[in-house]
Amino acid sequence: MFVLIKLIQSLFGALHSEGTPGQLAAGIVLGSFLGLTPLFNLHNALIFAALVLLNVSFAGGMLGWALFVPIGFLGDPLFDLIGHSLLLAPSLRGLWTSLYNTPIVPLTNFNNTVVLGSLVFALLFSLPLFFATHWAVARYRVTVGERVRQSKFYRAVTASKVYNVYKMFRP
Amino acid sequence: MSRLKIFRWRAVGPLLVLLVIAGILWWLFADTIARHESQKVGTQMLGAKVEIQKLHLDLRHGKVLISGLTIASPHEAFKNLLQADELVADIDMLPLTEKKLVVDRIVAKGLRFGTPRQTDGRVAAKSSDGIAGRVLAETREWASQFQIPVLQLATGKISIDSLDPRRLSTIPAAEALGARADSSRRAWQTAFDTLRLGPTLDSASATLERLRHARATDLAALNDGRQAIDRLKRARARVTALERGVKTGVAELQGGLAGLDSARRRDYAFARGLLKVPSLDAPAIGAALFAPGALKPFERVLYYAQLARRYMPPGLLPRATTGPSRVRRAGEDVRFPKERALPAFLLRSAELSFLLHPTSDQPQQYAGRLTGLTSEPALYGRPTVFGASGPQLAAGAMLNHVRAIPVDTAGATLGGIMLPAFEVPGVPLRLDPGAATTQLGFALNGDTIRARFAIRSTNVRWTRDSGFANSTIANLIWRAVSGISNLDVESRLSGALHHPDLAVRSNLDQAIASRLRAVLGEQVAAAEKQQRDRVDALINDKVGPVRARVNEVQTQAQARVAQQRARLEDVQKQLEQRLRELTRIRLP
Repeated sequence: MFVLIKLIQSLFGALHSEGTPGQLAAGIVLGSFLGLTPLFNLHNALIFAALVLLNVSFAGGMLGWALFVPIGFLGDPLFDLIGHSLLLAPSLRGLWTSLYNTPIVPLTNFNNTVVLGSLVFALLFSLPLFFATHWAVARYRVTVGERVRQSKFYRAVTASKVYNVYKMFRP
Repeated sequence: MSRLKIFRWRAVGPLLVLLVIAGILWWLFADTIARHESQKVGTQMLGAKVEIQKLHLDLRHGKVLISGLTIASPHEAFKNLLQADELVADIDMLPLTEKKLVVDRIVAKGLRFGTPRQTDGRVAAKSSDGIAGRVLAETREWASQFQIPVLQLATGKISIDSLDPRRLSTIPAAEALGARADSSRRAWQTAFDTLRLGPTLDSASATLERLRHARATDLAALNDGRQAIDRLKRARARVTALERGVKTGVAELQGGLAGLDSARRRDYAFARGLLKVPSLDAPAIGAALFAPGALKPFERVLYYAQLARRYMPPGLLPRATTGPSRVRRAGEDVRFPKERALPAFLLRSAELSFLLHPTSDQPQQYAGRLTGLTSEPALYGRPTVFGASGPQLAAGAMLNHVRAIPVDTAGATLGGIMLPAFEVPGVPLRLDPGAATTQLGFALNGDTIRARFAIRSTNVRWTRDSGFANSTIANLIWRAVSGISNLDVESRLSGALHHPDLAVRSNLDQAIASRLRAVLGEQVAAAEKQQRDRVDALINDKVGPVRARVNEVQTQAQARVAQQRARLEDVQKQLEQRLRELTRIRLP
């Protein structure tokens, strides 16, 4: 239940923040990386740092993460397939061999089929996701955004204490 | 219009706090995490539980200290493969940045082997997942291919399975021969009928009668006589042809009768096969007595050799292994070895000191050395070598996976070990080998295996199972072996790995075999005679009438041919005689 409330808070917080649709879309894209790829990997530490340090919507990031975790689980067989075909492609063997024997790079676990497959998928998916989210947020704000802001439900959700934590990272 | 800021500088503080917290957590829990991960990876690799009491990472000095290492046996439920009091490893730190573990030196102290444990530590035996599970399943299947003869000497009785008449080959053969005899009889009858000898003989007889009253000048009668002789000759030719056919048919029927005798011999052999007679052959007795126990060391060594081949494959091609277990799909980790680079794992040298007979008054101290254990032998360029020696031990092993065809060899001689007493299979005896010397030789060159396992003891003790006190055979075997105080068992394995030959011999084989032959020989002969009588009783009712029918058919056919031929010859002779008389020139 707490997760659901937090998700709704994130959703409203992001949609009604002062951030631009571009900041929100960028946050969701970064969050999608956290959700789509296996979490405990070096590249996700960098993504998280970027989400915190870059002036993008942190709430959007949390929202993207929460939304894409189940998609990540469902997509694992596909990611495994993508990673397998990339890692065992003869034409790419030289690239992988040099990366594998380069300091630090192997710590990213790029040589795991699911990690590489999901990362490549997330990268390819990031551009369409960014533009689609950008367009959807802009449309929301000019159409039903103001009516939602005036609703009792919105006021009840945003009044909770968790919202205050969110405000700390709002763009 | 205000310029959009790219960085959120005020978040640097919380991020740094987060990093500090992560650092503190690492400092607090690094040892625990490393211990859990080591246990998990070790268990996954060996197919048996790996337990570590304490692990300390001293990264500043590049050292890892492990205390209380226990590795369970992958094959035995409540036994450990080894235990170590303390292991100190010197780690090369730089390769860790490439996720490569290079251990310069390990010093292991207080190693103990085969110690008991409280819980079942087998993992691969319960699940065939992972490399260890698959290798274990393969080696088990490999071991199960050997057909080990079973001795049934407990009671010394020869049992006989029921004899099913439908499985005897003589009965259908007799029925077929009977049908063939009937068919021949009908065919020959038809052939006789088509000869039409009656009219020819009647006509010839009538001509002969006319000639008897004819004169020499009666040229028409003389001509009729000559024509009658020609007809008789043609009839004789037809009879001769029929005779040839009858002879051939008779020979076939005789062959059928001989076939019945062969079928009877086959049925005797089949019936003899239904006797459950203990093997009297010494090599078979050796295999029955000791093969189950002798196969185990081969199976175990093969398990570790095959495991080494999976984890230490030759060549430099990318290779995929199952990824780390996690909530998400594990996927596969692909390794990309590179020439002149470090392997993913390398143990340059390990110095081992261990105790044998740790509970005895004088435990024996041994020392061993392992070098070049690596995940990519082609990169390391040298084989993995192990050697250990001590007062009663000499052991060595070499895993050479540097070239395309891997060669694994191992040899060990261990003296003074107390082997556990065991029930001798199929015999109501228990053998306590006492302090024995065991030898193992193992060579796996590509897919060709040659292995030898031997046990020698000079102080064996025998005890008999009281449940078989009244068994004659048990008494005889007891008398045969109870005086033997030395035991010499040797098993050899050779050939293609997928289907090698196993030979087991022992000094007990001949003793037991000769006793069995002396006692069971007469019983076996009596049982075989009994089986032959049973076969005869079942088939004689069928074979006797058929044999009589065949004889009758051939006798009848031959007699009839002879009779007809004689009649034709007689009439022809008389006609020729009369013609000669009529045509003879009489001088005045």
